[in-house]
Amino acid sequence: MLEIRDLTVFYGLHAAIRNVSLQVAPGEIVVVLGANGAGKSTLLRATMGMVRPASGHVLLDGLDLTSLVRRNLTAQVVEQGLVLVPERGGTFTDLTVRENLLLGAFPRRARAREQELMEFALSLFPRLKERWNQRVGTMSGGEQRMVAVARALLSAPRFLLLDEPTLGLAPVLAKQLLRVLPQIAAEGIGVLLVEQNAHLSLAVAQRGAVLSNGELVHAASAAELRDDPVVRAAYLGTQ
Amino acid sequence: MASLLDALVTGIVYGGIYALLALGLTLQYGVARILNLAYGDFLIAAAVFATLLYQRYQLSPLISLVVLLPASFVVHLLVYHLVFVQLERRRGSWRAMEASSILLAFGLSFVVSGAMLAIFGGQLFSYSYLLVPIQLFGSVVPANRLLALILALAFGAFAYLLLVRTRIGTAIRAIAVDPDGAPLAGIDVRRWAGFTFAFGGLICAATGVLISMFQTFNVPMGVTFTLKALVVVIMGGVGNAVGALFAGLILGVTESFVARFISPGLTLAAVYGLFVLAVLTMRTGIFGRALR
Repeated sequence: MLEIRDLTVFYGLHAAIRNVSLQVAPGEIVVVLGANGAGKSTLLRATMGMVRPASGHVLLDGLDLTSLVRRNLTAQVVEQGLVLVPERGGTFTDLTVRENLLLGAFPRRARAREQELMEFALSLFPRLKERWNQRVGTMSGGEQRMVAVARALLSAPRFLLLDEPTLGLAPVLAKQLLRVLPQIAAEGIGVLLVEQNAHLSLAVAQRGAVLSNGELVHAASAAELRDDPVVRAAYLGTQ
Repeated sequence: MASLLDALVTGIVYGGIYALLALGLTLQYGVARILNLAYGDFLIAAAVFATLLYQRYQLSPLISLVVLLPASFVVHLLVYHLVFVQLERRRGSWRAMEASSILLAFGLSFVVSGAMLAIFGGQLFSYSYLLVPIQLFGSVVPANRLLALILALAFGAFAYLLLVRTRIGTAIRAIAVDPDGAPLAGIDVRRWAGFTFAFGGLICAATGVLISMFQTFNVPMGVTFTLKALVVVIMGGVGNAVGALFAGLILGVTESFVARFISPGLTLAAVYGLFVLAVLTMRTGIFGRALR
C-alpha cells in the first residue's frame, strides 16, 4: 500500500498542494485529474522527495519514507520501490535505449529480477528491441515515453508514478501507451497517474480524484467520476 | 627530415600523456562539476612521491603506481566529501556550488603547492629510469618515454572502457548529461560524483608518476599542468574522453614543433594560441557532444 498522508508543499508563500491524502493499493490504478497549475506534478515530485514537503507523510507498505523525502534523497526512495516517470523526461537522451534500460536496473534491489523485468518491459514495448542501440534523443516522442516507462519498470517498482505520460502525444499513441497500464498493474504494481486527459485515463483507472487549486476533491471510483457533471464539464468536454 | 620525425615522435609521446592528464580533469569537471584548479598540484605531489620512493628506496615507478594510485583515490574522496560537499550544503544546490567550487579549488591549489614548497622548496626533481635509447620509425626515443606513453594509453583505454561498458560507468555518464534526472534512476548523485572525482584523482596521480619517469620538474610547475589540462579539456569537450585523446595529441605535437622549429620559450604561447582558437571556433569541443 502506498499512502500519502496530509502532504503540503509551499513554493514561497504559495501552497502548491495542501493536505493531500491518497492511497494506492498494489495492482490498482489511481488517476488524479487536474488542470495546469493544480499541483499534480508537485504532488508526485513531493512524494519522490524531489521537492521538500512542508508537512505530511509518505508511507510504503507501512514503512515511513518521510525522512528520506524531507532530505531530498530521491535515489533512496527509488531504492525502496517507488519510481516516477516525470513529465516529458525520464530518459537520458544522450544515451542509447540499451544504456537507459541498464540504468533502470541500477538500484541494487532491482538487479536480481533484471532479466525477468527486461523481458516484461520488452513484451510491453516490442518496438524498443528495434531501437536497441539508438540514442533516445533521436527517437520520436511516443518512443521516448516507452523508454521512460520501460526504464521505470526495470527498477522493480512496487508503485509506479506517472506524470502526464500522454502529454504531447497524438491521440492514438496516447491510447496505446495507457493501454499497457493494466498489464503493469496485473503484475501487482500499483499505478498512480496524474493526467489532464480524463477520457483516456478514466478508462484504465479503477479510482480517481480531482486536484483543484492544490486540494484533492471528488475522490470516487472511475465510473462515478466519468458520470460526475463537474468532471464532465471540466475534463471531458461534454455537458 | 630526421628532425621533423623526431619532433613528431616527441609530440606524440607528450600528446598521449596530455590526453591522460586531461581525462582525469574532464571527469572531475564533467561529472562532479568541480573545476579542480588544484589538479596540477596533486599531479606534482604524486610525481614528487614517485621520485622520493625511487631515490630513497630504489622503488620502480611501476611499483609506486600501485601505491600512489589508491592513495590518491582516497585523498580525493576525502577532499570531495570533507571540503566540496560541505560547501554544497552551505550553498544549498549543485548550481550555486559550481561557481564557488572554483574559488575553493583555487585555494586548495595554494594549500597543496604551499605545503610542498615549505617541505621541498623550489628544487628540481628528476631521476634516471630506463634511460635506454630505442629506435622508433627512424627516430630515437628513450625507453622511459615510450613506456610512459604506452602506460598512459593503457590507463586511458581502461578508463574509457569502464565508462562505456559497465553499469557504473554508464551511471557516471548519466550524471554528466542529466544530474537532475539521475536520482530518478536510483543513482545517488553525490556518492557517484564523489567516486568519479576520486577516480579523476587516481588518473591525476598516474599522470604525475608517468611524467616523473622522464621529465625534470619542480613544485611551482603544478599550475602549468593545470593550465595544459584545461586547454585539452576545453578543446576536446568537457567530459569527452575521445576528444581529450585527440586534443592531447594536437597539443603535444604543436608544442614539440614549436619548441623544435621556432623557440622553446614559445611553447606555452602556442598552447594558448590553440586554446583561444578552440574557444573562438568550437562551442563544445572538436567532437561536439559530451561523453561519447
